[in-house]
Amino acid sequence: MENVGALTEVSLFILLSLYEPRHGYAVMQFIEQQTDGRLRLGAGSLYGALNNLADKGWIEPLGEADRRRREYRITLIGKKVVQGEIRRLHQLTAFAEEIVGEQT
Amino acid sequence: MSKRVYRYFYGFLDKQQSFLNRMAREGWRLMRTGRISYVFEPCEPDEYNYCVDFVAHKSPRASQDYQRFLDEMGYRVMTKPLNINYSIGKVRVRPWGEGWGKLATSPGAFNKELLIVEKKNDGKPFELHTTMEDRMAYYRTQRSAWGTLALALAAFAVYSLVRYGWAWQAVALSVLTLFHLWPAWQSHHILKQLKAQSEVME
Repeated sequence: MENVGALTEVSLFILLSLYEPRHGYAVMQFIEQQTDGRLRLGAGSLYGALNNLADKGWIEPLGEADRRRREYRITLIGKKVVQGEIRRLHQLTAFAEEIVGEQT
Repeated sequence: MSKRVYRYFYGFLDKQQSFLNRMAREGWRLMRTGRISYVFEPCEPDEYNYCVDFVAHKSPRASQDYQRFLDEMGYRVMTKPLNINYSIGKVRVRPWGEGWGKLATSPGAFNKELLIVEKKNDGKPFELHTTMEDRMAYYRTQRSAWGTLALALAAFAVYSLVRYGWAWQAVALSVLTLFHLWPAWQSHHILKQLKAQSEVME
């Protein structure tokens, strides 16, 4: 798998929301609820992000393309990307806590 | 009782958006638009919110797909022409379009450059472009669209100045150039701020 670097917060949240199939509006609601309204995603940005993630093969649309309320779900590659990101975040927080912990 | 209001905003999308939101605050819901006219019907004050989006750089198919997505989100979407000319069988080159540029034809993408998106007010702010990446892409498109037009007009203005001196053609073309340069500069300015912000934040 390609080295993907750090994910944006929005990409990670979209990937997490799609462990269950969801359509655009449900993804938006999921993110808003999980962040207590801190991260509010506009429909234009969500549309671009879903298309980008689908182009990368990290998520896939379900059913026929012209169905109303298109649903997406995460792919196997997408799940691997999420696991990589969790590892990266763990390392990052462990390192940050180590440095900050030494100073207090 | 409906109300017809005549306005023309051209490249000043933010002004158009403020106008529609002001009308909605006063209890007027947008029903349809023409080239320079807006038809409203009474609604509760503040019942709806509006966003104006720019889709001239997209192919008709990509634009329709985006409109369908917005429709699925529960929004009402209307297309609006940017220009005021009537056209059938027209073909325009848009070098600033997606990929290698786009051809706008009529019927097709021509005269459907803008989307007016309506959302029932739920007390939360209504924005279409919120992520850094997407906002930067949005203003970059705006900058190249208006910048390209301004450049073309400036070239015509210079040509006309050299050929005829300061006759009315050169004056009119210079004014038109400035008229296009303004939204290009505005987008450039916002883009610069976003870029600086993106270096430390998402």
